[in-house]
Amino acid sequence: MNKRFDFSALMQSKVTWAVIAEVLILLVCFAIRPDFFSISYQPSTGMLYGSLIDIVNRSAEITIISMGMTLVIALGGTDLSVGALVAVSGAIALKFLRWDVLTYTTPGDYTVYPYFLVLIVPLVVCALMGLFNGFLVAKGGIQPIIATLILMVCGRGVAQILTDGKQFTTGYSPFRVIGQGSFLYLPMPIIITIIVVVAVALFTRKTAFGAFVESVGVNASASRLSGIKAGTVILIVFMITGLLSGISGLIYSSRIMSNDSNNAGLNFEMDAILAVVIGGTNMAGGKFSLAGTVVGSLIIRTIVTFVYYFGIVSEATMAFKALIIAVVIVLQSEPVREYFARRARRREALAGGDAR
Amino acid sequence: MKKVFFLVTALVMLVCVSAASAEVVIAFSQIGQESDWRTANTDDLKNAIENHPGWKLVYDDGQQKQENQIKALRNFITQDVNYILFTGVVSTGWDEVLKEVNEAEIPLLLVDRLPDCADKIEYAAAFGGDFVEEGRRQIVWAGEYLKSIGKGDMDVNIVIMEGTTGASAQTGRTEGNLKALKSYPHLKLVGQQSGNFTRAEGQAVMESWLKSIPKIDVLIAQNDDMALGAIDAIKAAGKVPGRDIIIVGCDSVKAAFDAIVAGEMNCTVECTPLYAEFVVPTIEALERGEKFDKTVIHPKENVFDMNGGIYLGTVTSIKAADVISQRRY
Repeated sequence: MNKRFDFSALMQSKVTWAVIAEVLILLVCFAIRPDFFSISYQPSTGMLYGSLIDIVNRSAEITIISMGMTLVIALGGTDLSVGALVAVSGAIALKFLRWDVLTYTTPGDYTVYPYFLVLIVPLVVCALMGLFNGFLVAKGGIQPIIATLILMVCGRGVAQILTDGKQFTTGYSPFRVIGQGSFLYLPMPIIITIIVVVAVALFTRKTAFGAFVESVGVNASASRLSGIKAGTVILIVFMITGLLSGISGLIYSSRIMSNDSNNAGLNFEMDAILAVVIGGTNMAGGKFSLAGTVVGSLIIRTIVTFVYYFGIVSEATMAFKALIIAVVIVLQSEPVREYFARRARRREALAGGDAR
Repeated sequence: MKKVFFLVTALVMLVCVSAASAEVVIAFSQIGQESDWRTANTDDLKNAIENHPGWKLVYDDGQQKQENQIKALRNFITQDVNYILFTGVVSTGWDEVLKEVNEAEIPLLLVDRLPDCADKIEYAAAFGGDFVEEGRRQIVWAGEYLKSIGKGDMDVNIVIMEGTTGASAQTGRTEGNLKALKSYPHLKLVGQQSGNFTRAEGQAVMESWLKSIPKIDVLIAQNDDMALGAIDAIKAAGKVPGRDIIIVGCDSVKAAFDAIVAGEMNCTVECTPLYAEFVVPTIEALERGEKFDKTVIHPKENVFDMNGGIYLGTVTSIKAADVISQRRY
């Protein structure tokens, strides 16, 4: 079959532009400091060591959450509670590790409750909280942005109550593995991210679930009429997002070996939405791109790493991030993509004319 | 019907008036629970006020958001409380709401952080750490410590990890840091970045610095949480915290003492959160009708390190291991 490489479609795809943006930022880094790209082996930790590794490693929390956020946005909604759930997850984990800091006064290599509870309970609670969001949306008919606002606001409060407003610290080594351990020379958060991304991709693309989500996102009533249980799809999507926020929270708290109810996951909902949007999924719902979201999340982290690495002055950091994101979004805008797609079509047409 | 309504209203008013005269209502708008330090500060003030006979506390947690705190302050005005204790999450943008507090003639007590508009508003008293002095002590400790180990003449690369940009603790400590650096020409400033006062960001900033800056000898972290985060990043880079890189923190939280005793951190400059011991007497004095001028009341603070005995001009450092058991937070 004579399948031609469709250049104009490629230039029109938002994912392409996200990749181009990421490559451009990395090229700027490379131009300023070629050693930005250096990766070496660090024998003391048994991990690869370099800024590129840091970018992927530190983007883990947002990438994992934004897998769920992609599905929520494909449904035409948003989940504002993810950041608060990160704090809840960390608080529960640390609560089970330390329980009562007045009885167990010094942080050490111990856990008060069995380790599986430390891991399972936060995930179950976060999944249930996600289910609660889904219930309000699917059964209550409440707009997702309002429904998830409830947990966004009270989630951190719950996290603070759990740990009496304190920051618990732990030294339990199996818990350290999640955020600071390694597997196959890579930091553990990268491995967890890969597993999550692959799992979500398989679940949505190898089953009909992804198509259901897109269908409900485009038109919920029409999908219901064609036999899709829209409510169940919404419930599952919000539950997945809750669960993924829980995983993200475990990584975050394991990195710092403590809970930080005020700062853990702060503004993660915004970063996750941004990652999804940069990745080319339309906020109005419908088609979604998990690969695009991964690239979006990497772009966000690359900018942060850029700021730290090149020592952009603290006062200018926010403005600098905003500037780059503005450029990325403009690059992806309809007129810009249309312009390049038109040019590509013209070139293809010319090439076609030559062949005749 | 009208009569009943009038009676009920009068009764309600009577109850309100009698309740108001019975106790002194002290409202406290706190930033949130950003760190162990903040928790200790909140607990100390809350306990002292709640347990004081005749005093009632109205507490509001701002959850790190200025708009929440502004809302809380306006609520306090509506409730017509007797005193307002206030710690602002950032230093700017309080002019309007604090003027409203002035207009309501509620005595304002500024705790820990002075807003930028402090000279334009009225306040009954202000309490706070001397952030500039803390910043100065951090650098002077590093300089004097290097002298004590015979490295006083060597060129040393130093990085400063700042707090949340715009917070008065960040601006004050940075000012103190930079001023003091001038007296130590051998300390070369090679990096300056905000770690937002959190462990996670302290870790990420240090991680990047270790790759972008070829040699770092001293880390000045403007709070202990960022220093503790940085320790993990230093370990991940295969370096030994406290030995390969000298780490000076600030605040003196319990976890920093643990790190110093374990040899992973070198020094922490105290910024005490225990304000109740001078806030409570001040409110008592205000109740008696005494007046205070606008000068900030500073607590007495120390510097804790691994071995003690380093003279910093105003204080001498104390060995952390000797006092760790007495630390309350």
